[in-house]
Amino acid sequence: MIRVSELSKSFHDKKRGEVPALAGVSFEVNPGEIFGILGPNGAGKTTMMRLLATVLSPTAGTASIAGHDIGTDPAGVRSSIGFLSGDMGLYGRLTPREILRFFGQLGGLEKSTLERRIGEVTELLDLKSYSGTRIDKLSTGMRQRVAIARTIVHDPPVLILDEPSFGLDVPSARLIERFILEARDQGKCIVFSTHVMEEAEYLCDRIAVVHQGKLRIIGTMDELRAATGKTRLREIFLDLLGIEDIRLETRA
Amino acid sequence: MNGTAVTTIYRKELLELVRDRRTLISMVLVPIVAIPALFAVMHYFLSSSEKQAEQESVKVAVPVRIGMPGLEQALTDAGFQLSPQENPRAAVEGKKVAAAVEMANGEDGQPVVRMYVDGSREASDAAAANMRAALEGLKAEQVRAALAGSGVSEKVLTPFTVSKVDVAPKGKKAKKMLGGMIGYMIILMIFSGCLYPAVDMTAGEKERRTLEILLASPAGRDEIVLGKILAASTAAFVTGCLNIASIAFSFQSGFIGNDMRAMMDGAQMTPLMIALLVAAVLPTAITAASVMITISSFAKSFKEGQSYLTPLMMLVIFPAVIGMLPGMDANPRLALLPVFNVSQLIKSIFAGDYTASAFVVSFASNLVYAAIAFAVAVRVFKRENVLFRT
Repeated sequence: MIRVSELSKSFHDKKRGEVPALAGVSFEVNPGEIFGILGPNGAGKTTMMRLLATVLSPTAGTASIAGHDIGTDPAGVRSSIGFLSGDMGLYGRLTPREILRFFGQLGGLEKSTLERRIGEVTELLDLKSYSGTRIDKLSTGMRQRVAIARTIVHDPPVLILDEPSFGLDVPSARLIERFILEARDQGKCIVFSTHVMEEAEYLCDRIAVVHQGKLRIIGTMDELRAATGKTRLREIFLDLLGIEDIRLETRA
Repeated sequence: MNGTAVTTIYRKELLELVRDRRTLISMVLVPIVAIPALFAVMHYFLSSSEKQAEQESVKVAVPVRIGMPGLEQALTDAGFQLSPQENPRAAVEGKKVAAAVEMANGEDGQPVVRMYVDGSREASDAAAANMRAALEGLKAEQVRAALAGSGVSEKVLTPFTVSKVDVAPKGKKAKKMLGGMIGYMIILMIFSGCLYPAVDMTAGEKERRTLEILLASPAGRDEIVLGKILAASTAAFVTGCLNIASIAFSFQSGFIGNDMRAMMDGAQMTPLMIALLVAAVLPTAITAASVMITISSFAKSFKEGQSYLTPLMMLVIFPAVIGMLPGMDANPRLALLPVFNVSQLIKSIFAGDYTASAFVVSFASNLVYAAIAFAVAVRVFKRENVLFRT
């Protein structure tokens, strides 16, 4: 479903010249799989998500999503994905229903299909009681539900989620987790980046650790344990980054 | 390009606009309230200053001892209220009277009637003009009396007369002047009405972090830009039309005042004039929106977007003011200048001397500018360093 091949991206900086943000990353993600991307700040996670969503163009390499190449068929890629970030990206002056209609129409849904899908996601995420209220009057948790509904309204086969639980409280983060698991059960292909180790360990079928724009490791939790000799994802992550786990040392 | 995507974005932008208080104020409230208020204030000050000047202009100073027979009577007959003063000049300088006369002797011994006026005061100028007419009348009367005494016909004084005929239709000059002023106002309002929407749709989206999601949607960059430009054009066009409606209302309801209407030979804004003004405003609205969307796309916040567009407003004011100046008429080359050409067009619509070619040139050139701005805006929307500035 997703094939990433030697994907690279660098940015031009007046002082530093060409700054590599992602260097030759390759991986594949299958339908019905949750693929987690871990990395510290500035590792290149968001750049990778933006490249997959065709918001940015790669400097080298390529990727295809649901058979559409990000370089030659970006519109096809965008039609096949649902993109969600921690910012949520909701229009404050619109209501949830208006937002769903807007993105559903952009997704090319026919009027009757669109109305059916709006009804389905409204029901699924329990938006009915505030679907006519402007976003800027809703709580963070309510907005998060709307953002999820917006991501799936056109029923995309691939979900690209960039730190979707960033800054959320436990109940709201739990909602995101449930959404991701349900999407996998529906056979969707999910790539999501996160800082939260527990979340990644709990949700992901496979995990990739990115550091300084490079892929350090990729595999299931068991494969990661075998490769590093560590048990917990937090230990594995710090080990790959070359950082000692102060908490463990203190305990020892 | 996918028309459905453009329409969807266009409608979303309009929906957001009508729910934004700042936009509604600049787009709707200002034109509806400001124009009639401006006319009413202008009318009030013009008529009150005229009345005041009229009242003041009848008060003139004369010397305590007038050394010319008939002078006092001539001035009284002309409607002046005479105020005998020891120092008539000081009375004018002290603004006690509008003007003054004083008797003196010329180099050849002939009497000289010296008028004192204060050129900085309207009342003084009016008094001087009336006083000169009264004195010329008195002079002619005395000459006639002298000629009659010597048996010479008074016709020798006027071997011929000179008359001036103005071939311009009555009120055209005033109409051009008012047209120039209204053109300036409409153009300024179009750009200021478009400013908030343009910044809101670009820098505002970046600031609210909704742009990334929109860019990740199936809509293409060109479709996003076109939808936004069309929505901003609609805002600018609505502002322009509301201005025109407001001006028409001011004419109809008498806000412009009877004096101004009399100057314009009682002209009203006809439905044809309104239709022509609307047609003239449309390409300007598209150009304004395209340029403003392009420039504000570089900004990363609403505040920054406003700062970027402020110099543009200054650039707009300059050609609009030049177009307002009397005697400044468009020629084929100047008709290509954006803003200036529309200001000229609006002026000539009011004066009634517009031509179809002026319309076509103005319309076509503005559309070309809009197309260039659109192309630039699409390029800007494809530049990652502009979209993701931090």
